Amino acid sequence: MLRLENLSKSFGEIKAVDNVSFQVESGEIFGLLGPNGAGKTTIIQMVAGLLKPDNGRIWLDSIEALVNPEATKKLLGVVPQEMAFYEELSAWENLFFWGSIQGVKGKILKDRIHFYLEKTGLLARAKDPIKKYSGGMKRRINLIIGLLHQPRVLLLDEPTIGIDVQTRLNIYEVIKEAAQAGTTILYTTHNLKEAEELCDRIAIMDEGKILASGTLKELITIVGKKDIAYLQGEFSLEKAQEVLTSLPPEAVLSLQEGKLVLALEASSSLPPLLELFFQKGLTIHDISIKEPSLESVFLHLTGKELRE
Amino acid sequence: MKRIFFLLRKDFIRKWKNPQVIIGFMLIPLVFTFIMGAVFGRQAEVSLPPIKILIVDNDQSLLSQLLLGALTQGEFQKKITLVKLKEEKEGRRLINKGQATALLIIPQGFAQSVWEEKPTQLILVKNPAEQFLPQIAEEITDTITLLLSGAVTIFSPELQTIRTLIESNSSRQNTLDDKAVADISIRIKGKFEKFGDYVFPPILWVKQETIELPGKKEAPQLSFHGYILPAMAILFLLFVCNTVIEDTLREKEKMTLFRLLISPLKMEEFVWSKILTAIIIGITVTAFLLLLGTLFFAINWGNFWMVAVLVITLNIACGGFISVFYSFVKTERQAGAVLSTVILVMSLLGGSMVPVDIFPQFLRPISRFTLNYWGIEAFHRIMFGRSWADLAPIFIAFTLGGFALAAIGSFFLKKNLVKGYAG
Repeated sequence: MLRLENLSKSFGEIKAVDNVSFQVESGEIFGLLGPNGAGKTTIIQMVAGLLKPDNGRIWLDSIEALVNPEATKKLLGVVPQEMAFYEELSAWENLFFWGSIQGVKGKILKDRIHFYLEKTGLLARAKDPIKKYSGGMKRRINLIIGLLHQPRVLLLDEPTIGIDVQTRLNIYEVIKEAAQAGTTILYTTHNLKEAEELCDRIAIMDEGKILASGTLKELITIVGKKDIAYLQGEFSLEKAQEVLTSLPPEAVLSLQEGKLVLALEASSSLPPLLELFFQKGLTIHDISIKEPSLESVFLHLTGKELRE
Repeated sequence: MKRIFFLLRKDFIRKWKNPQVIIGFMLIPLVFTFIMGAVFGRQAEVSLPPIKILIVDNDQSLLSQLLLGALTQGEFQKKITLVKLKEEKEGRRLINKGQATALLIIPQGFAQSVWEEKPTQLILVKNPAEQFLPQIAEEITDTITLLLSGAVTIFSPELQTIRTLIESNSSRQNTLDDKAVADISIRIKGKFEKFGDYVFPPILWVKQETIELPGKKEAPQLSFHGYILPAMAILFLLFVCNTVIEDTLREKEKMTLFRLLISPLKMEEFVWSKILTAIIIGITVTAFLLLLGTLFFAINWGNFWMVAVLVITLNIACGGFISVFYSFVKTERQAGAVLSTVILVMSLLGGSMVPVDIFPQFLRPISRFTLNYWGIEAFHRIMFGRSWADLAPIFIAFTLGGFALAAIGSFFLKKNLVKGYAG
């Protein structure tokens, strides 16, 4: 179990993490979804004991991290965004080193290395120096290092950046298996699909705050049973705003130059709106209507789009 | 302790797989030593080309023969080639063509003037195309002329008698008068005995002695290579330590340190593992250098155990010294600039580049505050066969100083490394 209570951290004037609280149960994958600079990595670093929070408390199982950091280190596994290993060494040498440092010994360590290399399809390349690996293969090694000592709590900081679909699915599989084995997983991402697909619960973060959290279904209820209309065309912000005054403010999820997302009670309310657009001489050349998703929730909460 | 072992093992494998930098730092001192030895050292002693002197003897006298004979005596014979010519014109032509170092012209009536103690002169024409060989020829001719001039002055009456005897003898086509020869011999002997009080024995002389240490054979001699290689080795040893300890910053930048800090590993263990890696790699590099110095330059390093202790303690000192500077540098680039400057300046002051003996007086005391100075000094003391008692202060200072610096370095370095993980 991982529990954060009123966690805050500032860097000068910037509030990187602002009064964040959540709890992740054993065997649960909890996603922190937010754009770059939202404060996700700062939370990871505070949980890992590398940054001291200004306020708040952190528990790993029954141990309070700030009171007993050495004990919490033994429960933790971390997979950073960066490829944090030694590229000159082979996969086997790297895993052997990292496992040994974590206190895993002898046959148990060798068996685990073998298991994970096989699981991730890297066993045949185990003796090659990692510098000869592709980006996806390196990502898999980065993940295995965090899992070798079978931690009680696993922190994954955007572990799938810039990799192919096949590797991504492989990584998901390994993470899900770890969760099934009872590992508490905190997973940061700015990929909506990833969060939808992988996480049991999601917290949406922006500018250091958690704006909403819950299961996907719970989050979608924030938008309500509405139709999400995506409109693209040629219009300026000012002119579009003039037209949109006819709608309640919460109906506009996002408005950018040439791009508009609306949450409508019914799609039948769209034609009159389009009529207004044409009357003002604005052009719309692409309309799509979807059911509410995490993307629409995110837009609703932050007014921003997330891009991978 | 076990974790330090894992860290050391990991770093050795990494260095083993990427040895270029370390090998470079090992080879450079050898190459420097070879080049400097070739330029200044004993093995590459510059052998002078033969000095070719053209002789035109217009006097053809006993004295002119004596002068020419003196030019080809002893060591001169190895260096000087005399070529007798009949005409001065031919000699000048050859000199103008650059085919000889100098032309010595003995004028007619040279002997006559000498016998009569009248001033006379020899003519030496030097080859303008050559730089220093004509100078040597001039010096040699001057010296012999001076000696001859002195001898003629001292033995003037005897020489006059000999001359008369030779001339009268040649006119009678007969053997020399035994009584007259014996008389001259006695007179010359008498003069030698008078001068002998002053000349034999000489008032000052140098007595050469070799001190034999008890229980020891002849002490090893300090060769040029034996001087230069330790000096260069210490300079590059500091760079080796720097490269290894610089890895702390590299690990921070590559985020492997981040990962290590989250593990049960303690920061002290990480920092000490780097310092120990630097010391062990430094010892290995130094051992190889000394071995290669023996193989390539036949350097006799002296007592094996003393050298072994020196190598270990010197590397402890180097590792500790370098670690201190990593307490405040934040990036590899900063480290490169600061440490390169510190190492080069200290090595220059410590005698790794230029012997301290030729420093101006005001700089010499500063040298004694450098690792290089004491490292070089210790190597030299061992090569000169000095005792353990002579070396012990250096060994102790290196060990205690090295560990003290390493302790200070590790204390501040771990603080420096933990900073800056804010994302």
